[in-house]
Amino acid sequence: MSRADESRPAIPPPLDPEVAAATWIVVPVHNEARVIADTLRPLVSTFSNVVAVDDGSTDGTWEALDGVAPYRLRHLVNRGQGAALQTGTEFALRRGAARIGHFDADGQHRVEDLVRLVDAVASGSCDIALGDRFSGDLAQVPRGRRWLLRGAVLFHRLASGIALNDVHNGLRVFSRRAAERLEITADRMAHASELIDLIARSGLPVRELPVTIRYSDYSRAKGQRWTGGFRILFHYTVARVLD
Amino acid sequence: MSPFQIIILAALAIAAVTLVVGLVRGRVGRLSGSVFLVVLAAGAVAAVDPDLTTAVARSLGIRRGADLLLYLLVLAVLQGFLVVYLKLRHLRREMTQLVRRIAIRDAERAAAPSRDGGHGEA
Repeated sequence: MSRADESRPAIPPPLDPEVAAATWIVVPVHNEARVIADTLRPLVSTFSNVVAVDDGSTDGTWEALDGVAPYRLRHLVNRGQGAALQTGTEFALRRGAARIGHFDADGQHRVEDLVRLVDAVASGSCDIALGDRFSGDLAQVPRGRRWLLRGAVLFHRLASGIALNDVHNGLRVFSRRAAERLEITADRMAHASELIDLIARSGLPVRELPVTIRYSDYSRAKGQRWTGGFRILFHYTVARVLD
Repeated sequence: MSPFQIIILAALAIAAVTLVVGLVRGRVGRLSGSVFLVVLAAGAVAAVDPDLTTAVARSLGIRRGADLLLYLLVLAVLQGFLVVYLKLRHLRREMTQLVRRIAIRDAERAAAPSRDGGHGEA
């Protein structure tokens, strides 16, 4: 990624105001008091319906969301990212969302990428638009992470028979009918794998669009590690066997 | 009868009485209660005639009765873990749903505050 691109201010491309107004963005937040305002500011300037779900934070995130997030929901007890996404999704559906987007709280996603995903779903070219960090510039993805995520992709090709480039990307947009159909029950990080399964089974049209992930020291420290990968695999496998 | 046999039989008898009372009052499921009663009865028989477990073990190709009991214990413990794990999973799911309901309800109240003097949801 070039320097010029790094320093470019985040000015999202224009989005049809009607499309923006009917699109709800869910941001699961867990102990992000330091960065959450910076993450939400550009998001809120493009989308009026942003739902921040504070997943039992203990660092003052809830207070930090006051006045920053148009809607803030609070899990009184930490239930995991999958649970927070589902909570935000149900809230948005109840309020008549036509489309629902997922956006990470740690600042690794770009609003302009989200806008392109929203456009793809709004134009009717697909029901589900997923961010794909591997079809663009790979240099920004740390090497260890690249292999871990490649492993996840291969796993899903075998387990769900779905051929995707990037299966653990938190940037996603769903049409209303897709959001209604794909109910996340995996509370913790296995939700990303569960979602891929649900998407594969739903048969709804999916598109992957190239996105850029901003890996900062902060987001890297917050992200998954190798051990996390195995934990996800365990929870996912247990759920496949038992449910 | 050895002191150990007396102690174990007394303990089994107390457990059996508790179980039967639970069964009669409907606090214990009929299937699991009956299975447990059979297990208790088998335990009593094994306590009275220890050689019997060895005979049963031999017929299954296991040399000692104590080994047979050990294997059965391992299976029982594993089964117990599975039951507890499934219960825990269920409980977690219910907890998530509860936490979710509260989060959504509170947010909806905040988004649409009831007008002064109106009939707000209580």
